[in-house]
This record gives sequence, structure tokens and C-alpha cells, in this order.
Amino acid sequence: MAIDFQNYKTLIIPQGGNLRDIKAYEKQGGYKALKTVFDARESAWTRENVINEVKTAGLRGRGGAGFNTGLKWSFMPKPDGGKRYLAANGDESEPGTFKDRVIFEFNPHLFIEGAIIGAYSIQADAVYVYIRGEYRSWIRFMEQAVADAYKAGYLGKNILGSGINIDMYVHSGAGAYICGEESSLMESLEGKRGYPRVKPPFPAQRGLWGRPTTINNIESLANVPLILNMGAAKYAEMGAKTHPGPVLYGISGHVNRPGVYEFPTGMLITDLIYNVAGGIRNGKKLKALVPGGSSTPILRADQIEGVSMDADSLRTAGSMMGTAGMSILDEDTDMVDFLYRISHFYHHESCGQCTPCREGTGWLEKILKKIKNGDGEMRDLDLLLDLTTQMEGRTVCALADAAAWPVRHTITRFRDEFEARCRKSVFAIA
Amino acid sequence: MPEIIIDDKKFTYDTPGKVLPFILDHGMDLPFFCYHPSLSIPANCRQCLVEIGTPVFDRATNSFKTDENGEKVIQFFPKLMTACSQDMSDGMVVKTHVSSEKVRRAQKDTLEFILVNHPLDCPICDQAGECPLQIQTYKYGPEGSRFEYKKVHKPKRIQLGPRVVLDAERCINCTRCVRFTHEISKTYQLSIVSRGDKNYPSTANGKEFDDAYSLNTVDICPVGALTQADFRFKARVWEMNQTPSIDITNGKGTNVDLWVRDNLVLRLTPRHNPHVNDYWMPDSSREAYRLFNENRISRPEIKLDKELVKTSWNNAKETIAEIIEAHDTKEVLVLGSGYASVEENFVFNQFFTALGCGKASFVPHVVEGAGDGFLLTDDQAPNTKGCELLGFRAHTNRTFKNALAKATVVVVLAEDIVGRELANAEDLAGKTFVYFGTNNNTTSKDAQLVVPITCAAEHAASYVNVDGRIQRTFAAKETVYTSRATNLEMSTGRLDRFGTKFDNWRTDKNKVDCLPVWEFLSELAPRLNQTLSYETGKEVLTAVSSSVDAFAGVDYDKMDTEMGVVLSTPETEEKTA
Ligand SMILES: Cc1cc2nc3c(=O)[nH]c(=O)nc-3n(C[C@H](O)[C@H](O)[C@H](O)COP(=O)(O)O)c2cc1C
Ligand code: SF4
Ligand code: SF4
Ligand code: FES
Repeated sequence: MAIDFQNYKTLIIPQGGNLRDIKAYEKQGGYKALKTVFDARESAWTRENVINEVKTAGLRGRGGAGFNTGLKWSFMPKPDGGKRYLAANGDESEPGTFKDRVIFEFNPHLFIEGAIIGAYSIQADAVYVYIRGEYRSWIRFMEQAVADAYKAGYLGKNILGSGINIDMYVHSGAGAYICGEESSLMESLEGKRGYPRVKPPFPAQRGLWGRPTTINNIESLANVPLILNMGAAKYAEMGAKTHPGPVLYGISGHVNRPGVYEFPTGMLITDLIYNVAGGIRNGKKLKALVPGGSSTPILRADQIEGVSMDADSLRTAGSMMGTAGMSILDEDTDMVDFLYRISHFYHHESCGQCTPCREGTGWLEKILKKIKNGDGEMRDLDLLLDLTTQMEGRTVCALADAAAWPVRHTITRFRDEFEARCRKSVFAIA
Repeated sequence: MPEIIIDDKKFTYDTPGKVLPFILDHGMDLPFFCYHPSLSIPANCRQCLVEIGTPVFDRATNSFKTDENGEKVIQFFPKLMTACSQDMSDGMVVKTHVSSEKVRRAQKDTLEFILVNHPLDCPICDQAGECPLQIQTYKYGPEGSRFEYKKVHKPKRIQLGPRVVLDAERCINCTRCVRFTHEISKTYQLSIVSRGDKNYPSTANGKEFDDAYSLNTVDICPVGALTQADFRFKARVWEMNQTPSIDITNGKGTNVDLWVRDNLVLRLTPRHNPHVNDYWMPDSSREAYRLFNENRISRPEIKLDKELVKTSWNNAKETIAEIIEAHDTKEVLVLGSGYASVEENFVFNQFFTALGCGKASFVPHVVEGAGDGFLLTDDQAPNTKGCELLGFRAHTNRTFKNALAKATVVVVLAEDIVGRELANAEDLAGKTFVYFGTNNNTTSKDAQLVVPITCAAEHAASYVNVDGRIQRTFAAKETVYTSRATNLEMSTGRLDRFGTKFDNWRTDKNKVDCLPVWEFLSELAPRLNQTLSYETGKEVLTAVSSSVDAFAGVDYDKMDTEMGVVLSTPETEEKTA
């Protein structure tokens, strides 16, 4: 089913200018969902109903793993009188991912509204908004927006006379990709070193300061007011059936018009590249695509025919939706260079807590550097693949997987290019 | 009872814990680094990976699914799981390297990774010989390495604090040291700094690692990254012998091991005792090794022209006999000490009371505020409770001064009365003063006769800690009169076993010419028409337990098998009531 994207009206990226100003946002119908929920929370919008609505809308997390948001909310245990938290993940640091910043910049209140509704439904006392430290100005915008929301009575004590108290704090990261991993994010919020935690226990059981916590991506939460405004049924019909709703596609690389574009899920990749982003620059041919941030498996140009941007279609094609941060590589791209650069990133960002990731990421980079410099041997390619096996699924968090997948898939999908750069081995790997 | 199947063997359990400790406690092996039984579980080394399966529960029938043979259907986790963090559950199936190729492969893989940036400088590393990394690599590691690049360089020889030195390149980032300062000593002085393969533990900028328990991090560091400043490069592990003992620097009775080479105690390390010190000991207690080696009194000394000169054992005995014969025994002040063992105090008192002297007394050494509620106590002596239970009168500083003033003869057992300012040279002037001691000090200087006695590292004797627990030492150092070869209770290291007296690492120079108090007094007894006769501390304790109620039923075997015995004192009775 082709999507009529030409006539699509964006819901997250504001149509008429910037909505950073709370008045402008309210004028566009902002905080209507929040008011409706708080007005009718005795009858229509009980907490369970909000959660069910989000669940049936089929909203899947936009932070990478694509887990059903409403379902995640329902994992929160029954209140025991102690504190509960919602943490909003705006750390976005994965290469190729730059979509949450559009929300911070142009529509922060949409996210704030969604976060308040989320906090209400999981009975959280506070929302922590964790924003990538390099996003200096957007952190300031967020702080202003939160202050405005307090002034307007949407945050703080006795919100809209409901008797419900919810606080919101904006917290800046300090330049570590790993702090986007949810348990590491919590450690960081607690003022500790950003080391991911062992799971179980899961955040809903023991999260921030040992209390039940839910972590949601910024864009995921920004979808919540949309769902309540249009109704779950209508939302579920947007885009791909099993992965519905609007998505911010962050398109970068060798295209004529890189940028963040909002369309429903399920967009044909070819449409996004050629009709939305203006095609490959300088009239070159497409070589490959990384569909959802640097960790998602790369697809060759011949693998994307008829593939659309949603979990199922991408899985069939051999990749993942991730964050929908699409990197487009043209025919001139040196795949060895490309993979070396990605491996450099993961080596630099491994927190170093667990052995396979700490040592493996560095080793991968070193081998790739050798190959890049023309000193590689055939046996190095098999060693690289071996090392990815030694890393995948054996670590505390998924960073090791994220570091291993690009290596595994870029080599297997572009093996000839790697072999062309390598000398014949004199002796085999041990 | 719930059961767990490990490598096809069935075990039952009462209280569910984690899989790794269960495996280790049941005599099986599984390599690990970051896990420590008394610390939190970060599961970061990934060395303990195992296959885990659980029985499939069928909600419809409300029971476990079974196959055609009636066996429970087991579903395995798709990933390998860390045994250290895995909770046990009924019917769980665990496969270790014994039964799983996947696990064997993972153990090799992780070790290969750990060694990628490890300097492999075992030949000059203090940890070699007692290094879990070395051991696990031999047992479970790959044959070689496929790593052909320059290793990451990190800071070396970093003096983290007064007592601990860091070699960051050897660190495997297990975070045990960090967790220790967060969870046990609670000083929060260490943290991992930097990121990825540049990680290493450090203090905050400009801060010293001066934690009063800092050296425990050296013990638990699974590699040679953390070393003890005053033990570095002194000895290889296999050159020393290891002897269980008790800390004598305060009243806690921390269980320790003495590490001895050529009859010098080179270091003390904590010995696990869940009832007393768990796996830990204070840094200050480790200093005791100096007491055992340095400044020891060797051969009796007698004062001639205001100078102490060496004399024979016979002369020492004769001198004491003459002193006793020349004085009214009622005027002899017999001072025992919380610094000496139960056996020594008992015999000391027994000997002199038999001669008509009054019962021994002692002056407890308590420094208010010195304790920390953990392993340091206000009580500075290891056996204060023991003296109390022997019925010794506890002097205050003032009552001691009065007693001293009245006495013409003073016999003191191992109490530095001058150093502690309980008495000065003036108080002792004009009195006949005999000192039984281990080390030269200000008190021995003022004595007319000094009798050198064995220290806690040279005899087997018991001490009663502040909580009323009696625990004992073993002889670790030979004296001039003892021999490792004939005393089967003394432990031997490689050098002891395979060395000959012609080897240049073996000398006799570190053997002290001293005797256990009970042995010396037993030898002296016939001269004064006494019948006292003890050969070992064990014999003395038998006498103690049959004559002093508080010690009834206690013997060395019981102490050894039960990690010490709590004596029935009024306080302990109250606690158990
Ligand atoms: C290494 C690593 C980095 C991550 N970084 C981010 C991030 O920057 N932003 C984000 O939203 N999620 C990130 N995630 C995913 C989060 O752990 C988490 O799944 C997500 O925030 C949940 O939100 P969602 O359910 O709304 O997607 C990261 C995960 C890993 C393993
Ligand atoms: S996988 Fe990597 S980033 Fe994640 S906890 Fe382990 S070392 Fe840290
Ligand atoms: S110094 Fe030792 S104890 Fe500390 S993290 Fe490194 S290996 Fe572990
Ligand atoms: S012991 Fe380190 S991960 Fe289990």
C-alpha cells in the first residue's frame, strides 16, 4: 500500500512555524489532550484507559528497540507509596540519528504534554529529561519550555486542579553515547558513572534510585498527545500495520536534501531517498543504506527494492528500523573507510565495563585501520567476523552488539571490496 | 525440595541463591573474576558465562511440560548467561564447560579479550603464583593470541595512597576495588576513570587513597594491578609459607594469615571468618609483621652497670630464683597483660601464685574513640577479655600506680608499662624489675632482667576477642629451639620443603633466641621446688579449660573446626538469651 506522502500533513514538525512559545503551541490546540485527560480522568481517561489507548494505537518506541510503548507502561508495578519516575531519553548520539533535536527545537511542548500524560498514567512523581550534552542550545530551549509549562500550571503541584503533582527536570548529558542506554542513563541521572546495569532487575522493578521507572524516547512520548487527539484506531491506521504512526526520518549522507522529514512509517526507502531527499547528489548511484542509525545492519542498493521503513519489512530485508536515522552512501563510498569510521566510534564510546566490548571494540578498530592502510590480509577478515561472534550477546548492554553488527554485515555484504584491499594471507589465523 | 541440574548432576537446595556460588560451594569449578561473595554483582567480566535452561510451564495444565519420556521439557536462554548474577530456580538446568562446547568457547574468548591489553609481565608481577587471571588462563584460556597490535598503554607505578600502588595496565576492570570502597569501607575513594579500554581505577583528582582499609583492595584485586607499597618485589608467593593466625593489634581478633619466608613474616592478609572479619582487615593490623621481625629481644639480658648485657638462659633462671628467695613473695607485683595469650597469662599467674605471690592483675589498654564500629576496636590489646575471664584484677592507671608503689619486686609479662606511661623510671627505681617480653622497648630498658619470650608468630596460643570469641594462632616462625621439620603443625612453603641448609636463601639469622613463657617457667619450676610442667600451648589450654569455668569445654580442635569458640561470659549469655 503506497502512502500518499505528497499530501501528508505533519503532526510532530509544526506546520506553521516554530511552536517553542507555549502560547503559539496552545493556539494550535496544544495541551488539549492533557486537559481532556485531566478533566475526564475519573471517567473516560483513567490511567488504565490511557495506557490501553496507547497500547492499542500500536505506538512502538522510537529510541531504537521498537517496543510497544503502552505495553512498557503496563509493566510498572502497583504503587507502594514510594516514588516512581519517568525518564525521557533525549541523549541521541548514535551516528546518523538527529531527530529528537527537531522536537526540542520546534515543538518541545508536544513532548512535554506527552510526558506529563505518560507520567500520569504510570503514576510517576517526576519526569527526568536527559538531553545529549552537545545539544547546548536545545537544552536551553527545553528548560525555557519546562519553565513555561510550570507557569501555565501543566507541571508542578495540583496540575489543573486535579490534585496530581508531577515535576519535570531537564538534565544535560556529558558527552557519552553510552548514557543513552537506558540503565546507564539512570546511573548518570543518579550522578554516577554511566555504566549500564545488569538486567534483571528491569527498570520497572528497580530503576532510578531503586524505584520503579519507565524510560521512553523523546519522540515516543511526543506521539502520545497525537494518539489521544486522533484516537487509537485512527493512529493505528497510519503507515505500517505492525508499526504505525508518524516517524521522524533523519536522512543524511550523499543525498541532495539531507534533513529530518516527518512521514508515516512504512515509507518506501526509494521514495524517501529519491522523492523526499532529492536523490543521490551529483547524479551518482546509490550503493548502500544504513536504515536506522549506525548500529543497524547495512543494506546494499540491490537489497532495498520494495523495502519500506517499518520493523517487519526491514527485518525481512535483513536489517532493522532502529531510530530511522538513514545514512545514504553513494557509489563512490569506500566501504572499508566507512566501516573503520563506525568502528572508531564504538571503540571510543564503549564504557569499558565488560570485557568483550571493552577489548573487542578496540581490536576491531585496529584491524580495520590496518586494512584501510593497505596492510590488511585476508585472514583479518575472518578474524573480524570471529570477533563479532565473540562479542555479540555476551555483554551487559547492547553496545557490543551495536559495534559488532556493522562489522559483520558490512563485511559479509561487501566482502569483495574488503578482499580487494587485503593481501593474501601467508598463514591462517590461529 | 527444589532442585537444580548442573552438568547432568542433580542437586537440591533450600535457599535459592545465585548459580555461581552454588557451583563453587559444591566442589565444582567455574572461572570468574568480578564476582566476590561480599560485594554487589556487576557481572562485568563475563568470564562465568554458562548455558541456562528452565522447565517450560504449561499454564493450561498448571504443571511443567514433559516429553514422551516423562522428562521435563527444558527451554534454554538463547544467550549465554552469567552464573554470578543468575538466580537459581526449581528445575533449572545449567551447563558449564564440563558439558557445553559453547561455554568452553566463550571462556576462551573472554580470556583472549582480557589478555589483549594485558601486559603479560607475570615474571616481574607480584601477583604471579596467586593470580586468578594466570590460573584461569592456564585452565580455560586459549593457547595463543591473535592480537598483533600495540597494546593500550596506561599509567604505571601510581602511588594511589600511602599504602597502595596501581599498575593500570594490569587492571582487568573488574571493579572489585571500587565496589569495596563503596560498599564495605564506605569511603567512596575509588572510581573507574576514563572510558573503554583506557579505563582504570583512580581517586578523585588530588585525593589520596588513604582509606583505613585500603589494602583489602590489594587482596581482592584478581590481578597484580594493585600492590602493597611495602611488600612489592619482596618475595614471590611460592617462596613463602602461609600460616593461619590472629591479629594482635586490637581487640577484634581479625583472622589473618602470616606469610613467612626464611623465618621473617613478610605480610599479613585477612583470613575469611564470617563471624569476625568476613574477608577483611584494617591496614593498621598489617603493620604487625614488623613486630614479629624487628627489634626482637633475643637471648636473656641482665643489667650490669646500668647496661643490659646478654646472658645465658641458666643465669636468667638462677637470677629469678634468687630474687624470689630473697624477697617476701607478698611484695611481688605480678602483672599479666592483654597483649599476651590466655596460655601465657595462665601459666604466669599459676607459677607465681604457687610461690605465694598475689594473683596476677593487668591494666586494660582502651583508647576511647579508636574503634570504628567495624574492625578497629577501642581496645588496643588482643586478649583483654581473656585476662578478665582468667579472673585477673583489671587495674585503672591509678590503682596500678598504688600497687606498684607497694611492691619491691615487679614481674611484668609483655606489658610496655613505661611506653604506655603507666609507670616511669622513677616509679621503678629501687625495685627489682623482671620483664618478660618479645620486643625491645622503653620498659625492657628499665628492667634488671629481661626474659625473651615467643611472639604470636612463634607459638600456638589463644586470644579472646572483645566479643568473647576465643581463637588461636599457629607457630609460623621458627625460633632457635623449634624446627619446621619436626613440628608438624608448622606449615611449609616450597623453599622449606625443597631447600637445604646450604641454599643461600636459607639462613638462621632470623630465628630469635626466645622461649614460650610456659616452657621457660616449666624449666625454672624444679629450681624453686615447683611441679609446673607444660610443653605446649595446647597442654596449657587443657589445664585452663579444666580449671576456669569460662573456658570449660574449649580445646584447640574445637577452635580449629568452628573458627573460634564463643565463651560463655555474662555478656555473651545475655546476647544469646
Ligand atoms: C548503546 C545504546 C545507546 C542508546 N542510545 C539511545 C539514545 O540516544 N536515545 C534513545 O532514545 N534510546 C537509546 N537507546 C535505547 C534505550 O536503551 C531505550 O531502549 C530507549 O530509550 C527506550 O525508549 P523507547 O521505548 O521509547 O524507544 C540506546 C541503547 C543502547 C544499547
Ligand atoms: S557492552 Fe560495552 S558499553 Fe555496554 S556495558 Fe559492556 S562495555 Fe559498557
Ligand atoms: S585494580 Fe584490580 S580490583 Fe581494581 S578494577 Fe582493576 S583488576 Fe579489579
Ligand atoms: S563473575 Fe564476572 S561476570 Fe560473572
